Amino acid sequence: MDFMTKEGSIKRGLFLIGMLLSSAVMLGWAGNWDDIERESAKIKSVTAHFSQEKHLQILTKPLVSKGRFYFQAPDFVRWEYTSPVRSVLLMRKGDIKRYTMGSRGFVEESGGSLESMQIVLQEISRWSRGQFTGNEHFSATIKRGKGPTIILTPKEKGLSTMISRIVINLSPDRPGVIKSVKIVESEGNFTLFEFTDVQINGKISETLFREVG
Amino acid sequence: MKSSIVHGRLFFIVMLTAFLASCSRLPVIKPVDAAALQDTIQECRRPFLDIPYRFVHAIEVELSGRRTGTVVGVTVFEPASATIHSVVMTIEGFVLFDARYEKKVSVNRAVPPFNAEQFAGRMMEDVRLIFLAPDGRLSDAGVREDGSTACRYYGNEDRIEDVIVHRDNTWEIETYSNNYELIRKIRAFSVRDRIPAMVELTGFGFREYSLRLKLISAEPVSPETQPLRPEKAREEDE
Repeated sequence: MDFMTKEGSIKRGLFLIGMLLSSAVMLGWAGNWDDIERESAKIKSVTAHFSQEKHLQILTKPLVSKGRFYFQAPDFVRWEYTSPVRSVLLMRKGDIKRYTMGSRGFVEESGGSLESMQIVLQEISRWSRGQFTGNEHFSATIKRGKGPTIILTPKEKGLSTMISRIVINLSPDRPGVIKSVKIVESEGNFTLFEFTDVQINGKISETLFREVG
Repeated sequence: MKSSIVHGRLFFIVMLTAFLASCSRLPVIKPVDAAALQDTIQECRRPFLDIPYRFVHAIEVELSGRRTGTVVGVTVFEPASATIHSVVMTIEGFVLFDARYEKKVSVNRAVPPFNAEQFAGRMMEDVRLIFLAPDGRLSDAGVREDGSTACRYYGNEDRIEDVIVHRDNTWEIETYSNNYELIRKIRAFSVRDRIPAMVELTGFGFREYSLRLKLISAEPVSPETQPLRPEKAREEDE
């Protein structure tokens, strides 16, 4: 698939990032790919706070955003920014919507293509089950250490012009919890997500995946 | 019969619109006396900062009155050299557009549809309008009907740029084509220390659009620490 041919490619790239983060929070402890898959299968829900640092050459200090993340197996996700721009991405049974707070309150954003949404869901489903190998878009390698690291590199030239690599650092002592995700777009341009207060398999209200406010 | 009346009316409306358009006039700027001229010109420079600055905005985008999304914009500009570096990214931090303006536009990165032909030039022109003082020939300086200070500049391609500074410190910029049609209108609100908390840009023409720039941060930039020319940056990965 060529990532640069249609208008939906922005959304596609965007949602690839979103789904990556979604699945990354759910990753199991990584001794090897079998471990990841086995541990991921035990995770039914996740809640976490996240901070996002955007590093750019023209920024002397990173632009920091904060928010909350919710996941309920098999395919309910809420990816919510609380600052500096309030925004909510809801994924629910194959339906994805995004809302941003503006001068007229929360407004659903338009312009996303159904195709991109479907790709997202497919990927979320795959990665949330810990299935990184055999992925259509990324090659995955594990670097073993005290805190295991998964490195994803794009398979397609089109995608590699947007994302150079993705580095996922897992918690060394807590299966199912990651420390950070770094998405490198180009030299000097990367985004670092760090997760805190990660709760696994707690109860999450169903309305969080349905209602913005 | 009824159909021909409707067509006749439609024709009349079209002709009237065309006639009125051809009769477009620029807003009147009443000249001030010679003693007040320099102060007036200086007042028209108030919207434009004199030193390099970095702005970060949340930008609401509307096309034809329909909101399409919100992005984050980072703009660094250097007034002395009329240089601008602009980056537009998604809320998630994914860079959609990265370009520099220094006499001409050079695009570092543009993801579809931001790579559309002429997009970069028009986008950077909008950014330039907001942040850099007009570089055209000053033709009028005075006051508008409502008492606002106003200056008129004639720039490239016979574009006309009006800078209007209101008594409450807010300001507007209007650009007109050579047949006096309004092309862009910029309005700055809640201005504090010359920095507006909100800027609204409306583009008129075939496809009307508007951008609402809500300020996230503004800070002076030292040329020594923040080169506008791209540099290779080292980064540690894992």
